[in-house]
Amino acid sequence: MILFDFGYERAATAEEAVARLARLGDDARLLAGGTDLLPNMRAELAMPATLVSLEGIACEPPRALADGSIRIDALTRLADLERAPLIAERLPMLAAAARAVGSHQIREMGTIGGNLCQETRCLYLNQRHDYQFAPPCFKRGGECCYPFPRNKSDVCWSVHMSDVAPALIALDASLEILGAGGTRRAGIEDLFSGSGLRPLTLGPAELLRSVTVAPRPARWGWGFHKSTVRGGLEYGMSVCAVALRLEPDGRTCAEARIALGAVRERPLRSPKAESLLAGSVLDPARLTQAATAGAAEANPLPHHGFTKRHLSDNLKIYLRRTLEQALSRAREEEGAC
Amino acid sequence: MLRSDPQARAALKAPAQVVSLRVNGEWREIAVKPRVTLVEAIRDLVGLTGTKASCESGTCGACTVLLDGRPVVSCLTLAVACDGMEVRTVEGLTDGEKLSALQEAFLEYGAVQCGFCTPGMLMSATALLERDPKPDRETINKALEGNLCRCTGYNGIVDAVLAASGQTRPRKE
Amino acid sequence: MQSELKYVGKSVRRKDGPDKVTGRAVYTQDVRLPNTLVGRILRSPHPHARIVRIDTSRARALPGVKAVITVEDTKGIKHGFVETPRYPPDQEVLARGKVVHVGEEVAALAAVDALTAQRALDLIEVEYEVLPAVFDPEEAMRPGAPEIHPSHPKAPSGLANVGGTTATEWGDVERGFAESDYVREDRFDCQLRTHGYLEPHVTLAQWENGKLNVWTSSMGTFVKRAKLAKVLDLPQSSVRIHKTYVGGTFGGKIDLYSHEYCACHLSMLTGRPVQITASREEIFNAYRHSQPLTLEIKTGVKKDGTIVAQRIRAINNAGAFRGSGVVVIFLAWGFTMIPYRIPNLKYEGFSVYTNNTVRAPQRGHGAPKVRFAIESQMDMIAEALGIDPVEIRLRNARGPGEKLPNGDDTHRGNLSECIRVAAERSGLLAKFGRDRSQPPKGTIRRGIGIGVSAYMGGTLIYPNGSGVIVKMNDDGTAIVLTGAIDIGQGSETVIAQIVAEELGVTPDDVKIISSDTDTTPQDIGAWISGMTYVTGNAARQAAGNAREKLLQVAAEKLGVRADELVAADKVVSHRLNPELRMTYREVVASSIAKRRGDTIIGEGFWRTMRDEPAHPSLATTRGRWTENYAFSAQVAEVEVDIETGEARLVKAYTVHDCGFPINPALVKGQIDGQVSMALGHAFMEEVLVKDGYTLNPNWLEYRMPTIHEMAESEDADVITEQYRVGQPYRTKEVGEGLISGVLAAMGNAVYDATGVRLRSTPFSAERILEGLRDLEFQKRKKHKEVRA
Repeated sequence: MILFDFGYERAATAEEAVARLARLGDDARLLAGGTDLLPNMRAELAMPATLVSLEGIACEPPRALADGSIRIDALTRLADLERAPLIAERLPMLAAAARAVGSHQIREMGTIGGNLCQETRCLYLNQRHDYQFAPPCFKRGGECCYPFPRNKSDVCWSVHMSDVAPALIALDASLEILGAGGTRRAGIEDLFSGSGLRPLTLGPAELLRSVTVAPRPARWGWGFHKSTVRGGLEYGMSVCAVALRLEPDGRTCAEARIALGAVRERPLRSPKAESLLAGSVLDPARLTQAATAGAAEANPLPHHGFTKRHLSDNLKIYLRRTLEQALSRAREEEGAC
Repeated sequence: MLRSDPQARAALKAPAQVVSLRVNGEWREIAVKPRVTLVEAIRDLVGLTGTKASCESGTCGACTVLLDGRPVVSCLTLAVACDGMEVRTVEGLTDGEKLSALQEAFLEYGAVQCGFCTPGMLMSATALLERDPKPDRETINKALEGNLCRCTGYNGIVDAVLAASGQTRPRKE
Repeated sequence: MQSELKYVGKSVRRKDGPDKVTGRAVYTQDVRLPNTLVGRILRSPHPHARIVRIDTSRARALPGVKAVITVEDTKGIKHGFVETPRYPPDQEVLARGKVVHVGEEVAALAAVDALTAQRALDLIEVEYEVLPAVFDPEEAMRPGAPEIHPSHPKAPSGLANVGGTTATEWGDVERGFAESDYVREDRFDCQLRTHGYLEPHVTLAQWENGKLNVWTSSMGTFVKRAKLAKVLDLPQSSVRIHKTYVGGTFGGKIDLYSHEYCACHLSMLTGRPVQITASREEIFNAYRHSQPLTLEIKTGVKKDGTIVAQRIRAINNAGAFRGSGVVVIFLAWGFTMIPYRIPNLKYEGFSVYTNNTVRAPQRGHGAPKVRFAIESQMDMIAEALGIDPVEIRLRNARGPGEKLPNGDDTHRGNLSECIRVAAERSGLLAKFGRDRSQPPKGTIRRGIGIGVSAYMGGTLIYPNGSGVIVKMNDDGTAIVLTGAIDIGQGSETVIAQIVAEELGVTPDDVKIISSDTDTTPQDIGAWISGMTYVTGNAARQAAGNAREKLLQVAAEKLGVRADELVAADKVVSHRLNPELRMTYREVVASSIAKRRGDTIIGEGFWRTMRDEPAHPSLATTRGRWTENYAFSAQVAEVEVDIETGEARLVKAYTVHDCGFPINPALVKGQIDGQVSMALGHAFMEEVLVKDGYTLNPNWLEYRMPTIHEMAESEDADVITEQYRVGQPYRTKEVGEGLISGVLAAMGNAVYDATGVRLRSTPFSAERILEGLRDLEFQKRKKHKEVRA
């Protein structure tokens, strides 16, 4: 039950949604699947005066562009993404990431755009504050931080929990962002500010319109893993998404992209780990070395009751395992050629 | 700063909107404030209380209904957003008095104890079987992972879904 | 004889099934009354604070607010889970003078809608003076700790915040330890767990014409009525608890809850129905959870593993009121002494107040923690002595016909047989130790472990006995009036089977009217593991009583002796001459015609331990506890990833002695559910609390098992009792005792897989990894020492 009133407007097109946002100002929020926004409204972490619903906007199914890129409408529901034959065939990592989100119902409701634009999370933040933690924290406009009492007022160590974002970062996706002044393009990594207070770089009247992924090169392989305590119905303990491209020799790494989720205020790249891989012959020792470096540089925030040490341990193992997956896929692909 | 000024909020007008829903085949017109969730609308305004309200934050699946064929948690769905849509609830599963094969299997294989998760579980499983008439175990797990059951340990539920899809495991005496 | 049974012993379908799969089942939240007000509770934001001032005037003045109450508006009558001379009721329905835990109920109000109620809550002003708080029971016991309540007058002097104690001993433990070949002492801890019933706490109350009608999600309507009538100062005849379906309880809906009182009182003040629903967050933050026990166990054994002496010290983090804390420290003794023979035992238990939420029973009521501790230690002892886990258990297990130190009797119960069958079915000894001695390739290790348990079936606590009425209809079908409440366990189905069997009708001919305090006889309720035994025997007797009347009337009409007649398939017929017969319809008509209008009504009553005046002493354990002990042995197979520490239950084997299963499918349902709850306990569930505040008040981070965690669950029944028509029968407990052995088995299996011995639950990946690291460190240290 949401215990405050708000207005509700439908937009028939994305342009109209942006225009409404511009008119309504800061107090309005876009509503797509609602699976992140509505729990936050229930907890009164978000109290928008008006919701601009995107329900009425026609959603285009994922399609291949002339250059071989795949364009995904931001309003694509995660379950549709997971089931789309084009995605299963061309971007299986994205299908796996979509399949890892929440529960079946959440995937039938939530959209890829909404998943990227979700709020950061923290145990203290994500509950009603009727009698627990009554004075608001920094993120709620107050003057304290419950989990990290010594934080400065501009620091909120809440964690961005998207499962899809790391996969799209590993895939080097680009975004189409619609604003009052028209469309702009941005790399997926530019979407995230790194601040727990305002995790996204979107302007007040901007809307994420689509996600585009360039065609996969040859000798390319992926690995994805979401660590959870239970099999489903969970935010991640950590999320690893990796992509490796091999040189024609089939042993040397040409390029590595590593993205980690559920670690910090934003999904992270692992530049040190990537540089340990790029140009190197990928043997087990090298993968372990890179995974260890990746876990160390991630410097995960303790979140959802897990200690920093355990999160680092978990990242170290699963980063290595996903790198192994990616390597074996890259080699298989080469074999198939 | 996400919390807006409560005074401004009090002054806000959030008029009710009229929404048409096709509930279990019957068109219904209801007037709802935007804050009213679908589970509240179905239970309190349409008057079908088979759909259960439990966690009200999308984490248990007790309120699962089929919205235009998709299993959704009706506690995280605003009723205003469902205008013109088809809603199927547990009350719509029977053909007159006749139970569906899935309902029969739930009774036969011990998928029901306290029964509070049952309506949501049945809706998730119905959606699954409509999409995939012969699901394997992993598919069943992924389809029902959003429905918590505290009584059965899920063993009876898995058996029932397998049986309803003609994949009966021999029943142990 | 058994082959003659038609319905008892068969997996008859649930009576309530069709209602539950069609959405017709009416739970408390589904009851709608016109003009209902929304009730809400104002809760304490502090774990411990003096209430300086409460001002409700602004809330009262808000349009749409119909009533506001604080403790000053109540009669100040206290209640408690336990109400005995030693432990008088200790809790008021709303806080008086001070609050002792976060979320404690301070005020309540009723308003026209939820938004108004929410606004009104914000308008109640409460001034608090914050007091020092204490959350750890061992800190709370120390002299000089912040005083939550004075220690019990009979508690050892000098200790603070002791709400109650249990102390008992037999034999001479010190001499026992001296005579032992091997002695070890270990300490075991447990996380805070909760019930996780899907249906939230909800109460609807309607005061009308001097009668209070109440619908509330509970585990026993007669207990609720007694407590509500008491705190409201109303005669019991003025309070009616109506039947509703109940969406899960697991122990968390017994006792009186403040919201139940508040809904009633607010309805009485406003003359309108009042509904109060607890949000899931409130249930996590402010309602009752299970009891985290800390156990220190010292055990002495002979070389062959025979237990000589055991000393146990149990400390319960009881929360801010007495709750069931003083019961759990009594039960911890009970669950210690049943399965194994312990010639010398010394037990002491302390229930300690802390500024945490109050505690309730939870399925097993202490047994999971006790058995986890003892069974873990048994395996440690066995390993030290070089004997296997089956042998050490068989060496000590109780068999049939043993007298227990409190005067109870094991009757035909046979733990040894359970252990033997469990070991055989699971192939335990062949699998045990395999992956440790010959580690397979890869990172997955499999382990197997065993644990045993025993549980009482029904004991004496209010209302102590059950009655059942069977009313014959003109057409030979029957209406059964029973106070038994079906919380999902299937009591209505079981009662219908028994009545059908005894009466010679089909279960479909039997309709059950249940758990309504005005129209059904008193019942013990679904919370002391005795319903199939106590209420079932009452039902058997009531149906038998009706059958005897049918036979008597038919005998008179047919001119034969009643004992020459049999009743079956709604017909009374002569044993030797089946031509001589009357249908039940004819018998009932004849009874009405010939016996001054007598319709046929049978009545039956049952009470456990009729020769025992009262329940045993919680403080001294004196007195008998139950007449039925159910024994069980459970085996778990787990898989552990030794690189990540992730562990899961693969398969559980349950071998239990439930006496005689009235409905095997329902028994199986109880087993599977308990295995699932136990694996949640073992691997994932924990209410995270910091300084009295709950960090994870939701099902995302309080992780109950999902369908992904479903473990294969196999079971076998060591049947030790028979059911005979017309004879009293023994069924034993099956609804909560089977959560314990398997929990312990999982701990032992994790050890078997990894060599990591965990003394605390849950067995999280982090703890397992820590254990593995520690083993590695020890190994290297040893290696170095050897080289040096």
